[in-house]
Amino acid sequence: MTQNVEHQPPVPPAEITDTVPSAAEDYEVGLKSLNQWQLAWRKFRRHHLALIGLGVIATMIATAIVGPILMPFEFTTIPLPDEIVYAGRPPSLQHVMGETGGLQRDVFELVVNGARTSLLIGFSSMAIGVFIGTILGSVAGFVGGVVDNVLMRLVDIMLSLPILFVILVASRFFGNGSVGLVIIIFGAFSWMGTSRLVRSQFLSIREREFVEAARAVGVRDRRIIFRHILPNAFSPIVVAASLIVAGNIISEAFVSFLGFGVNPTSPTWGNILSNALTFIPLGNWWWPLFPGLAIILTVLAVNFIGDGLRDAFDPRSRA
Amino acid sequence: MMKFVTRRVLQAIPVLLGVTVVVYAILLAAPGGPEAKFAQNPRITQAQKDSFRKAWGLDQPIPIQYGRWMGILNPSGEGLGVLIGPAGLPNFLPTPLSGATNGVLHGDFGYSIDSGEPVSNRIIRAALPTFILAGTALVLWIVVAIVLGVYAAIHRYSLFDQGATVFAYVGYAMPTFWLGIMLIFAFSGPGLNILPAGGMTETRISPPFGSPEYWVYFGSNTPQALGDIAKHLVLPVITLVVVNIAGDSRFVRASMLESLGQDYVRTARAKGLPARTVNFKHALRNALLPVVTNIGLEIPFLFTGAIVTETIFSWPGIGKLTIDATRDFDYPILMGVLLVTSVMVVLANLLADILYGVIDPRIKY
Repeated sequence: MTQNVEHQPPVPPAEITDTVPSAAEDYEVGLKSLNQWQLAWRKFRRHHLALIGLGVIATMIATAIVGPILMPFEFTTIPLPDEIVYAGRPPSLQHVMGETGGLQRDVFELVVNGARTSLLIGFSSMAIGVFIGTILGSVAGFVGGVVDNVLMRLVDIMLSLPILFVILVASRFFGNGSVGLVIIIFGAFSWMGTSRLVRSQFLSIREREFVEAARAVGVRDRRIIFRHILPNAFSPIVVAASLIVAGNIISEAFVSFLGFGVNPTSPTWGNILSNALTFIPLGNWWWPLFPGLAIILTVLAVNFIGDGLRDAFDPRSRA
Repeated sequence: MMKFVTRRVLQAIPVLLGVTVVVYAILLAAPGGPEAKFAQNPRITQAQKDSFRKAWGLDQPIPIQYGRWMGILNPSGEGLGVLIGPAGLPNFLPTPLSGATNGVLHGDFGYSIDSGEPVSNRIIRAALPTFILAGTALVLWIVVAIVLGVYAAIHRYSLFDQGATVFAYVGYAMPTFWLGIMLIFAFSGPGLNILPAGGMTETRISPPFGSPEYWVYFGSNTPQALGDIAKHLVLPVITLVVVNIAGDSRFVRASMLESLGQDYVRTARAKGLPARTVNFKHALRNALLPVVTNIGLEIPFLFTGAIVTETIFSWPGIGKLTIDATRDFDYPILMGVLLVTSVMVVLANLLADILYGVIDPRIKY
């Protein structure tokens, strides 16, 4: 699996060479062999929607990093009273997404600044959830027995709870509107799926010959886990992670929308929507429209990437 | 079969117990608590606080408090006698046997901090509107999802199928509450004000839903009252249906495609049966097996699923009850709702497992 140490470009896929095959090439047929990642990338590139999704997410992340520097949002900066049109202004050339009612914020500026918080929460909470899930799943799958039973019953219990309720209650009670705490709360409640997945991977990989061989040579448990089993369980974890990101971005928007998430003065996509709700009678549809489209676009992109990854890592699908 | 059912039921019991422990722990760790209302009051002396704690049992160790809340322990018992109920049998047995009335096991979820009513009353009162909303939406979206999914599977890769795929992807990525807001803007904003933006009844005409006066009004003007509710149902039901069809129609389509690829379907086609018979008699009936179990798993939705939608449309159901309780730190209500919902999830899983065995003769336990 790690034969191709020189990191040759993945293309051409199956070029037949007439030079003397090196160690990196298949000895008998003279096919260039690709490692797992190159194979996966080759299949991923065939998935056009996934590539588009990757582009969208890359743009989103770039916007989230650079955008707030170019158009910073200051909660305390408000327009002069005579400049304010209470109902807000619809999209125009100067303000492509329009201006909000009330304090006359530029919606585009809000959406750009909201991207930073929303994406930060989505991705960081996923990282926490996947980390916890991988560790618990590995322990359960590797140790087995009573430990496995206890951990999996814990997962059963957590999955029986209405997680959105629990997150809502937890952010209301412990969140204090801080982004860090909201990330921790979301991470703490998004590990169950991953842990089940990792456990099942461990249960099957644990019995494979190469693990047995490693054990026979006297490799220590820790090395078996991190070196031999985990890398092979990696692909389903990545796919699950993409689903967690999508789910957490939507849930965060919802929790903030209800006012229990991030402090309402700092823009997240949920907060922008929440503020828009009171202006329904004035009919400024552009205010909730654009942050909502940003959420849909992000979640769609992440889901497409997840689909692409699933196909790319699936040994049964062919590139 | 009986053995399997018994084993599954026995497995569900520790999970249910675990759920109660987790719910209790979450709310125990939360700030505030029953005494919080005295914190800012300078006239309350320490002695009064102590007697309040004693009266509410807050001076007891946490496991005992939990046992009393669950209804395993008798609050008026002494020593080991706490395990025995008033009628002389263990306290956790149902009320007619043990004589005990305290605790979750006997249907006592405590009293709402906000209104002082028993939590069970509040939950029961909020359940009806939720059942109306979620039930209508559930029936509608299952029917639509099955029709969409089956049609898309039969005409695979057609324009319709691709349209359904796009719709499913977008619907899946769409936040429920955003769709709700946009629908309100579209149909109850200043432009096209044809549908109510929220609530369950027209408050200018009818008394609040669920109150005794409402039922009097309902009895005398049934058609208007039903029409009123139906009008208020339109937007929230559309919201729920659009968002939830996405996943389910994909599920039906996949299941149908799998069964269309089976050998017996090919045999049926080969012997010259009309396409309609093959599709609907041979393929669909088998494709619906996993769909039925999936519906079983969606039953708890009748209780929880509308939380988002109810908030947007101020529908007076469980979702709104929960959100309001969260906002007001009304612990007893939150514990009650969390607990009832979790129990429903566990029971629905159980039901789905058993149902699968009943309707699919290939499954043996």
